[in-house]
Amino acid sequence: MTAPLVRLEGATFCFSGADEPALDSVTVAFARGEVVLLAGAPGAGTTTLLLVAGGFAPRLVGGTLGGAVCSDARRPAIVFATPWTQLTGLCHTVLAEVAFAPAGAGLPREEVRDAAERSLERMGALHLAARDPATLSGGELQRVIVAAALAMDPDILLLDDPAAELDPAGADDLYALLPRLAAAGAAVLVATPDRERAARAASRALALEAGRVVADGPPAAVLSDTPVARIARAAGCPAPLPLDVDALVARVAR
Amino acid sequence: MTGGPPAPPPARSLSLRDLVVIRLGVAVNLVIGQIVAALLLPVFLDAVGTILVAALAGPRAAIIVGLTSQVLASVLSGNFAWLPFALVQVVIALYAWGAARLGAFRRLATALPAGLLLGALAGGTAAPIAYFVFGGATAGGVTAVTAALRVLGLPLPVAVATASISTDLLDKTIAFGLVCLILGSLPRHLAARFPGLAR
Amino acid sequence: MIGYRAGTSPLHRAHPYTPLALASALLLAVFALGSPGAVGCAVLAAALLALTGNVLGYSARPALTLGLATWVLLLVLHGLLGPEPFAALGPVSVSEPGLRRALVLGGRLTAILLAFLTVLAVVSPARLVEAMTARGVPFARMYLLVSSLTLVPRMRARAALILEAQQCRGLRLGGSPLARVLALGPLVLPLVLGALAEVDEQVLALDARGAGLPGPRTALEPPADSALQRGLRWLGLALAAAAFAFRFAGHPL
Repeated sequence: MTAPLVRLEGATFCFSGADEPALDSVTVAFARGEVVLLAGAPGAGTTTLLLVAGGFAPRLVGGTLGGAVCSDARRPAIVFATPWTQLTGLCHTVLAEVAFAPAGAGLPREEVRDAAERSLERMGALHLAARDPATLSGGELQRVIVAAALAMDPDILLLDDPAAELDPAGADDLYALLPRLAAAGAAVLVATPDRERAARAASRALALEAGRVVADGPPAAVLSDTPVARIARAAGCPAPLPLDVDALVARVAR
Repeated sequence: MTGGPPAPPPARSLSLRDLVVIRLGVAVNLVIGQIVAALLLPVFLDAVGTILVAALAGPRAAIIVGLTSQVLASVLSGNFAWLPFALVQVVIALYAWGAARLGAFRRLATALPAGLLLGALAGGTAAPIAYFVFGGATAGGVTAVTAALRVLGLPLPVAVATASISTDLLDKTIAFGLVCLILGSLPRHLAARFPGLAR
Repeated sequence: MIGYRAGTSPLHRAHPYTPLALASALLLAVFALGSPGAVGCAVLAAALLALTGNVLGYSARPALTLGLATWVLLLVLHGLLGPEPFAALGPVSVSEPGLRRALVLGGRLTAILLAFLTVLAVVSPARLVEAMTARGVPFARMYLLVSSLTLVPRMRARAALILEAQQCRGLRLGGSPLARVLALGPLVLPLVLGALAEVDEQVLALDARGAGLPGPRTALEPPADSALQRGLRWLGLALAAAAFAFRFAGHPL
């Protein structure tokens, strides 16, 4: 068991101007090599947990943090659902946009270019390198945004509904990439309503309700209400319930 | 690759949040013109972004919004004649910040008169610039009014000042009214993000 | 049409700072010139700049169009309504000093417009950003100038959508002046509030990608500069300074 990269102990976070805390006495640790699904209804605190784990809250969004957050992460990367708001607006080519983070570190030109091209290739977007970001579709742009986050070689990758703009094949590719990134040494946290895809990729799931962690364990144990799981339960499948279509098909075929 | 979490900026420089808000203010200044044109209103409302940012983020950010908007408006329209009016942008930014601090934006009843006063101030500042730099002729409606007043016999400086101020009165009054409405409609969690709004 | 036109002229290939510096020098110099002849030379200099960039047609047309209204008004304001003495110009009597003033002011405007429209046509935004990055211009300055421009088309598109949506809900664009002023609310508020709601994500995305870090940024394709170009830039500014020196010494050109 690797030492945790980020540890929250009794963390309580309240946004300024809010009556209720967004996170309430959360004690949880995240280690390198994990892909953790944060599951919860809107407003349950999944996005807030991403922000606190990455050190972005309260530093950039204000608010008050109680309890303790210990982080050894040096390079947190974050990806949101809508790509347009995450563009720097400064770069006229996709390559420049993806290279923004390594270029900001003042690395030599060739290293920067290599890092950007490798990232784009990982996201299957190398063919877009010379395009102007303003001309891309939502799906293409989101791939570029994820590539831009990966170009920094992050040690913790935080994703908030990252496949919202992607078509099904693109979403599959993105979630398939997450375990590979974790295996390379990053901690990956993804908050998404797309439980089926995330459950396939995740090694662990956290269920949140009203800012509290109500369950923490393997996805099959924590998630019991994906559509497929409900069908399987109604059909009398024994635990662990299959969470997505492929698992159900595999179970039925046996 | 190295790089730790960013250190907080020294007090004198702008934070990232300031930059993003300034960018928003500039874009608002540049885009509202299209809405106004669709409504066929005889105003520009090209300072709404400046006034809004003054209330949200303070005078320094607002001045930057004003100056940047001036430069970019020239780039977008090709009409670089507007550049010498930078001083007017500074006046608008400072006045709007002062008005926000005094709570003028809390109610329309205080916002509208405050806007009217700014119209007089801004128009009055623009007039000498128009007179000395361009001999009283910049472009469009203001200058047409100036010419008409000259034909009526008014001396040039007075004609320039009158035309400049009268068009600005309406423009800034409406602008202050809009900003008052915007600030009043901000949901609580958004409003809390902006330290400039002391509630 | 205003905006960048790709090309291979010397100005296109030059370091982006060069045409910018030359146009700025012209901008400063015209305010030091006081006679129609000198201002005419400035206009010719601007035209020469445009010719070097192979964009004379592209810059001249909008320069004349944008300046037309001002020229007409200047001629009316100063030429017809100016001070004594008057001279006959065909059927009309024009004020001599007034006409001279109108020519100087109009010429200034035309020279400035022509020079900067040329700069817009020959300097590509991407190359300018690379040049600024290579020179160490801080991220904040570049962000404000360049990113604001890239936000504008997106905001305009959203404004158009809001206009359509509100019209579907019964908003009318015509009517009395008061009705039109009141229509501003439903059109402007959603646009601005929507933009304000996006601020958080932008800040987080930029911060995570190191936008707040101090230190030099690497330029991927810095444009080439040369001693000749640097010399030209300084020469331009020196000439502008000389024009002002002449003026203050009592010998305006």
